[in-house]
Amino acid sequence: MSQNNVAAQIRVRKKIGLPLAFAMAGLLAACGGGGGNSASTPITPAPDSGLSQVASLGKKIFSDQSLSASGKQSCATCHNPDNAHAQSNDLAVQLGGANLDVPGFRAVPSLRYLNLTPAFFFASDGTPTGGFNRDGRANTLADQSQRPFLAPHEMANGGKADVIVKLKQAAYVEEFRQVFGAAILDNSDDAFNRIQLALQQYQKEDAEFHPYDSKYDQFLAGKVPLEAAELRGLALFNNPTKGNCVACHLSAKGSDGSSPLFTDFTFDNLGVPRNPAIAATADPAYYDLGLCGPDRTDLSNRSELCGKFKVPTLRNVATRKVFFHNGYFKTLREAVSFYVKRDTNPELWYPADASGVAQKFNDLPEQYRKNVNVTEVPYNRQPNMPPALSDSEVDDVVQFLGTLTDGYKAQ
Amino acid sequence: MKKNILAQAIALALMASPLAASASEAELLKRLDKLAAEVEQLKAELAATKKKTDTVEQRQDALAAAPAAPAAVAVAAAPAAAAPVSMAAASPATMLGPNTVLSSYGEVNYTRPRHDSSKAQTDVARAVIGITHRFDEKTKMVAEFEWEHAVTSASDKGETEVEQLYVEREFNNGLRAKGGLFLIPAGLLNTNHEPTAYYGVYRNFVETAIIPSTWREAGLGLSQTLDNGLSWDTGLTTGFDLSKWDASSTDGRTSPLGSIHQEGQMAKSHDLSVFGALNWRGVPGLLLGGSVFTGKVGQKTPDFAAQDARLTLWDLHARYTPGKWDLSAVYARGTISNTEALNQTFAGQPTPVPSSFYGWYTQAAYQLWKNSDYALTPFVRYERFNTANGYAAMPAGLAVATGPNEGVWTTGLNFNVGEGVVLKADYQKFKVDTARDRFNLGLGYAF
Repeated sequence: MSQNNVAAQIRVRKKIGLPLAFAMAGLLAACGGGGGNSASTPITPAPDSGLSQVASLGKKIFSDQSLSASGKQSCATCHNPDNAHAQSNDLAVQLGGANLDVPGFRAVPSLRYLNLTPAFFFASDGTPTGGFNRDGRANTLADQSQRPFLAPHEMANGGKADVIVKLKQAAYVEEFRQVFGAAILDNSDDAFNRIQLALQQYQKEDAEFHPYDSKYDQFLAGKVPLEAAELRGLALFNNPTKGNCVACHLSAKGSDGSSPLFTDFTFDNLGVPRNPAIAATADPAYYDLGLCGPDRTDLSNRSELCGKFKVPTLRNVATRKVFFHNGYFKTLREAVSFYVKRDTNPELWYPADASGVAQKFNDLPEQYRKNVNVTEVPYNRQPNMPPALSDSEVDDVVQFLGTLTDGYKAQ
Repeated sequence: MKKNILAQAIALALMASPLAASASEAELLKRLDKLAAEVEQLKAELAATKKKTDTVEQRQDALAAAPAAPAAVAVAAAPAAAAPVSMAAASPATMLGPNTVLSSYGEVNYTRPRHDSSKAQTDVARAVIGITHRFDEKTKMVAEFEWEHAVTSASDKGETEVEQLYVEREFNNGLRAKGGLFLIPAGLLNTNHEPTAYYGVYRNFVETAIIPSTWREAGLGLSQTLDNGLSWDTGLTTGFDLSKWDASSTDGRTSPLGSIHQEGQMAKSHDLSVFGALNWRGVPGLLLGGSVFTGKVGQKTPDFAAQDARLTLWDLHARYTPGKWDLSAVYARGTISNTEALNQTFAGQPTPVPSSFYGWYTQAAYQLWKNSDYALTPFVRYERFNTANGYAAMPAGLAVATGPNEGVWTTGLNFNVGEGVVLKADYQKFKVDTARDRFNLGLGYAF
């Protein structure tokens, strides 16, 4: 259970449960089988993938369920390539552990389009920016990959050495040795470190994680038009006085021609309702405060950051089964409606107290509710004001968000 | 006596011409215009003004082609009591050696918005160092290096830039060819942009918002001045890069072309542009001219929705300097085609790409008072411009409102100290955006 010495400043350990060996059968079989018979043959890049040897190993590790305590859970279980590398079920949090019955704490984020995420930093104006995990506490994709192997509610290995014991049984262990050295498995920390590097390299190299082939990408390239409703949705998305989504979810190409990632890597506190579907919330004293804890500990004294979570990319958002860090919402339309009616109709989202008044921002301790963003459009409303978007405009925005799904084929 | 002064002035202008060649060609011609105006004042000598002016041009060209050293000696030997105009011609530039000349200009400005004095600001707007080196009588190199806003660093707003860097070669038939980074001959101000050369603390809006002065491109140019006062310029250069357009920024509203120029900085060059300019100086003190610049601006950028977009910018300009008057006018208009698909990607954003933008101004200045060292010249200018005059059609409900036709009155005065230093004061009144009404003070120099 030793800490990863590469990720020095990053506290580790975290949640995101995962159960269910899902139906990525073809992929998994393909990944799990290769490399086992190559004891002395030179390792060459897999002819079909174009990946480096390290990345090719990462691909196998990504889908290897045998590296979990249950033997039934891999990275791909929760980050299903067939579902834009996010969860395939609609559970708010996933189940893990040796018996796949330990609930997690946060919803599964997609692993798509993370390769350009910068390490966590405070911008010159003090804005927290970047980092991996919903609280930004991992600085690299490699750092990020440590937690799932070791967290009790995920793959639940007792320590790095446990993982390496399992790795030694893997079909691709000889390939692992050849790539990283014959003695690499003699030191568990070193070997585990290479697993992390391999997973990072896989995510960086394999275009599956960042294909930029959504309808919107093709529209930006001038190759396909958007439908009228989609275009109206884009206009509402971009309009600073309407959806203003673009304030955090950047939608235009960069000045260097780079494709938009639909996130500015910042953090925000939206006051998402408490989700009783998360087991931990049974304890009234339990609060997930994002940047200031409990998983992240280095900013625990920065009370103004409490309740802030990373702005995720909206690419493939229409394929998500649950939304926001606690998975409270199950549909995209509901999630968009929450943005515009959170303050005009709080009774739609929050439970009423004894006197019948909606308990706004009920997933935050009283002292942190002032941290919720109530100034930016569209959150700058009061009860009895019209929401920033009408119902039909919400529909248009949802239509537009549908264009962000990868793999679009023009009719 | 007058004749003597005139003769001295012309002689000195001619002798100094190799030095004047360190400035731009337009600067040279401007000085010539001024000389012509002075000549006009001396009525007794005016009988053959046109012929003389033409002669001056011819001889000046010839002298410019001559080795610089003898001219420098001649200048050094020139009597200090020469007429002011000849001082102007003789004073510019510092000799670094027989064939190399150092020049410079700069300005420090103070602005105080009429309605919000908290935004009063002082800026070392620019400092420029120029180096001209003459390899031989027909070949020279011209370079200008500029610092803007005093400080340049990753976190500051300053810029350091190469404003010009070209080599020019003259041919026996009067043709001049140049290659490198040079100023596009558009409007009155782009090639003649030193603070001593224009009225008002700031360059006018038409020639900053519509013609993005100081506008330069890298490429090849060819020009010739004919005996009849006509001169032409043409060339093949880099152009603009529309993929730089930022629809979320106000830059494109401030100056559509200023936001997408490339300034010779690793400029995308798949699509080159062409330009042409005609200017006529057949009557002393009068300049009539026009220019056009056109080129595709998609630059074959991968996955870009406006590959076939084309920019065309043209202008008509006139300047007349009879006696103490200095009258000028410019009209400039730009269009960018094939922006429909690109603007759809900017739906809802505040600054889509305009399909047209335009501006014009007219200006009158009068030299109220002058002695050997000082000159006081009040002026008034009216400008009208619209940086977003039109947009390509958008689907129903997504149309973008065009910009306002802004009108600006500027009135003030230039106070010249000799010919190299100018103090300026003006007041600007905006018709639409009245919050921009402002007082300005400026100090500039050029040599």
